[in-house]
Amino acid sequence: MTVSKFLVAAATILLSATTFAAGIHGGGHDHGAASGEPGKASEASRTITVEMYDNYYEPGSIIVSPGETVRFVVENKGNLVHEFNIGTPEMHEGHQEEMMMMVEHGVIQGGKLNHDMMEMDMGNGQSMKHDDPNSVLLEPGQRQEVIWKFSDNSNIEFACNVPGHYQAGMYGDVKVQ
Amino acid sequence: MNSRLGSVLLSLLMSASVMAGEYNLTVDRVEIDTGDFVKDGIGYNGASPGPVMRFKEGENVKINVTNNLDEMTSIHWHGLILPFDQDGVPGISFPGIKPGETFTYEFPIQQAGTYWFHSHSGFQEPDGAYGSIVIEPEGREPFRYDREYVVQLTDKHPHSGDRIMRNLKMMPDYYNREQQTVGEFFSDVSENGLMNTVRDRMAWGGMRMMKADVEDLQGFTGLINGKGPDQNWTGLFEPGERIRLRFINSSAMTYFDIRIPGLDMTVVQADGNNVQPVSVDEFRIGVAETYDVIVRPKGEQAYTIFAESMGRSGYARATLAPEEGMEAFVPQLREPARLTMADMGGMSGMDHGDMDMNSSEGMSGMDHSSMEGMDHANMSNMDHSNMKGMDHSGTSGMDHGSMAMGKEGPSDPFYAKGSGLVPTAANGGKFLSYADLKAQDPLYEDREPTREIELRLTGNMERYTWSINGVKYEDADPIRLKYGERVRFKFVNETMMTHPMHLHGMWSILDVGADQWNPIKHTVSVQPGTTVYMETEVDEPGQWAFHCHLSYHAAAGMFRKVIVEGGPESTQAKTDAAAEEGGEA
Repeated sequence: MTVSKFLVAAATILLSATTFAAGIHGGGHDHGAASGEPGKASEASRTITVEMYDNYYEPGSIIVSPGETVRFVVENKGNLVHEFNIGTPEMHEGHQEEMMMMVEHGVIQGGKLNHDMMEMDMGNGQSMKHDDPNSVLLEPGQRQEVIWKFSDNSNIEFACNVPGHYQAGMYGDVKVQ
Repeated sequence: MNSRLGSVLLSLLMSASVMAGEYNLTVDRVEIDTGDFVKDGIGYNGASPGPVMRFKEGENVKINVTNNLDEMTSIHWHGLILPFDQDGVPGISFPGIKPGETFTYEFPIQQAGTYWFHSHSGFQEPDGAYGSIVIEPEGREPFRYDREYVVQLTDKHPHSGDRIMRNLKMMPDYYNREQQTVGEFFSDVSENGLMNTVRDRMAWGGMRMMKADVEDLQGFTGLINGKGPDQNWTGLFEPGERIRLRFINSSAMTYFDIRIPGLDMTVVQADGNNVQPVSVDEFRIGVAETYDVIVRPKGEQAYTIFAESMGRSGYARATLAPEEGMEAFVPQLREPARLTMADMGGMSGMDHGDMDMNSSEGMSGMDHSSMEGMDHANMSNMDHSNMKGMDHSGTSGMDHGSMAMGKEGPSDPFYAKGSGLVPTAANGGKFLSYADLKAQDPLYEDREPTREIELRLTGNMERYTWSINGVKYEDADPIRLKYGERVRFKFVNETMMTHPMHLHGMWSILDVGADQWNPIKHTVSVQPGTTVYMETEVDEPGQWAFHCHLSYHAAAGMFRKVIVEGGPESTQAKTDAAAEEGGEA
């Protein structure tokens, strides 16, 4: 993430709480066509368990077929908050700016999520909730599912966009074949 | 024999041989060519810097050090946790290594990360006696990289360490080219008025320092892995690769501000310990510190690693490139930082109006008839005894915000408010602060300290004396700690210089306000006019060195011996034996 971009984004937030909230909520939907779309549990061909550690995933990469729906069971086995997010590298980069704000607003604090802060009304009924269907944000010990139907886009990664984690290498390739 | 048992036995035998490495180092006279000048120095295995020593966590190492010099030597394994008699400080851990002698160090490797080693005898380290240590962890790293490089910095000076110390003792501003000039005095007078300017200068003189004392040793050539800026050390990469750069500042005196224009750097380790990754555009590396960063150059192009000295009097430069010989733009040095009144620490609560400008005592040595009277050297004639009454202990509680500093500068909780030293990134982006450092996986449980020890960092620039609580090493009693306690050290920097405080043998848990996530370090920088806290779990018996890592400050007396009382009984006898032999620290 470039800092100038972040500053622009930060300035935008200061001007408009709506933009901020829309940014966090919109991410998954706007780019759905690129990385796939939310899947139905009944259509899932298989379950992949993804364990999140500090700061890496196991497995480190996965292979899917074009159009396949996968049920991911994501478990945070580390001591820090981690994300599992399916998207293109560009989407992750954009999302990292939002996550940086969540850190700066005290939503993500090392090993804890400040749920009150996430629920807080940012104006216009928007909040800093992290509830896109393509991702989960988990505290240590938490476990959640993501059901995702992949497209034929082969430029997809699953990634943790908690500040610094992606840069440290916490991402894996989704090989579509 | 059961085949399974056989393979178990075999692997035991193999691991036993792998886990006990033997290494050899010779201490030699070498020639050091910086590109700007060539001079004689000291190195290891025939070169300065010495080799990269690669160890594995869990290994027992045996290191044979042969002294080929005609003087005593020693090697200190900077940042390693080991038995105190292997720590390599003459007079504290052992007597030292005599000319012609081979001393064998033996200790277990109980940690992973980037560290370094250097002589702890005289000024051999500034003269070139240093190298790096890379320890591979037992498990996997909490980050990924495709290749790695050690990037070891130093401030190579054309003068030998002994000569520098003599000159500094004789004339403390000998190597300070950035002193304020008579011309600046006049321009300050026209901007701020004569009395304000004189008061400002009086106050600085009171601390026996000059505004420009950011660096007291200038005139060096910055080296990276032994190469000067023109010799351009180059690390190769394939575009898209993740590169781990292990930065080590082995300088005698110089802090560096490091950036790689065009690349984000993700800091993953500080002083060998994993930290929660933080992406920055630039960071400041104190003397003796290490920082590991990951960069990911995507372009088929060269990138410059640019390391400007904190006082902007020099720089080191290297290159990351897809091919040997490629170069990128080398930036200009930025304007030197200037200390402000805020950096005067304990002085900052002072109302200038209260200074008795007419006191004959205070002004005695000053010659008003000539502006030369403001010259650094002549200030030493002033009797500043009237300043002594000031309460320096009030520093920490002081409200810097109430000081009229003129303009709002950048801020960092580890610098005095309004400090002239607060670093900013050249591209306007993120500059690493100590406040960003959080342990990735805390080594110790967080608990209340059992007691607090205040260490005032003190000095008199005019006499080039540096001390702790006003007492230099030779005159000081050791600091006595009890095995098993957790001590909170309170550093109060009453000088105008930054001091990288290094406690041997035990971790320094730096208080960044993150409680259980506070990072552990081996070297903690204390900025002028600030109070910094660190805590130590006293978990290693024996006796240890504790000092400012600026070579000439340590030698001038900003140094203490720490004695850990109690602990496993077997160490007590060894402590007495080490003390017997003496030697110089």
